Amino acid sequence: MFKELDPILHSQLRLAVISLLISVKEAEFTFLKEKTNATAGNLSVQINKLKDAGYIDVTKQFSNNYPQTICKITGRGVDAFEEYVKALQSYMNPNGK
Amino acid sequence: MNEAENKMTEAESLKLINEMIGKAKRSYITTGAASIVWGILIIFCSLLTWYQFYTNHFFDFDVWLLVFLAVIPQIYFSIKEKQKKKFVSHDERTMTYLWTTFGICIFVLSFYNSKFGSNEHSSTSLFMLMYGIPTFITGGVFKFKPMIFGGLICWVLSIASMYTDIAVDMLFMAACGLFAWLIPGIILWRRYKKQQTC
Repeated sequence: MFKELDPILHSQLRLAVISLLISVKEAEFTFLKEKTNATAGNLSVQINKLKDAGYIDVTKQFSNNYPQTICKITGRGVDAFEEYVKALQSYMNPNGK
Repeated sequence: MNEAENKMTEAESLKLINEMIGKAKRSYITTGAASIVWGILIIFCSLLTWYQFYTNHFFDFDVWLLVFLAVIPQIYFSIKEKQKKKFVSHDERTMTYLWTTFGICIFVLSFYNSKFGSNEHSSTSLFMLMYGIPTFITGGVFKFKPMIFGGLICWVLSIASMYTDIAVDMLFMAACGLFAWLIPGIILWRRYKKQQTC
């Protein structure tokens, strides 16, 4: 039986954000925007959804008098990502070969 | 990237994951400036020491003290790079500890030499042995072949220096600076500049 894909992660932009965050310790909002080519507004909305799900931590701070948003994947986010990849693999390779 | 909610196929999802992980990995580029400065300084001090042995004319000060001056530009470049960087990689903490350990070990070994007046011939071998450690590990962690080769060259020259006189050892030290730091640093710098123009 196929595992259900996590609806929070099964979305293009949110999956892109989580994939970037799993590769680094933490990243600025501008880094995520640059790599995903998303608009600031759309990215903001999706980041909030990930944050509400407990998959990422978002810290707002000031650096050189400029506001800075730092995003970091949580342990729960890592688990969800791993489960999502496992589920994808079960879809791609249903016989488990 | 548009928010095409839940319309991805499984293959598209996996492709997106790979693409983003690849993009993040390709962002791990440093300017290489610290490596260039360190390399130039080691080459300069080694050649100057070699010149002293070659001409038998010795300066009144220890040229190797200049190495400790390299700490200042190293700190400056790392602060500058940190300010520019928009992310922190998983390996950064490890690298900071590794290179700090290297710096402390070089300092302690230099102090040991000055205090106990150890045989300079054997200490050059030890210095080159130590140069290879952080270089090889950094190269391996970041899959950066020039530094892996640089580290290996340091170790080969460390062994070779056990059979040569101190003047030749200094030429080996200069070669270590060239292969372990200057050349990899220039490669990193060119990559960084190329990325900036893209």
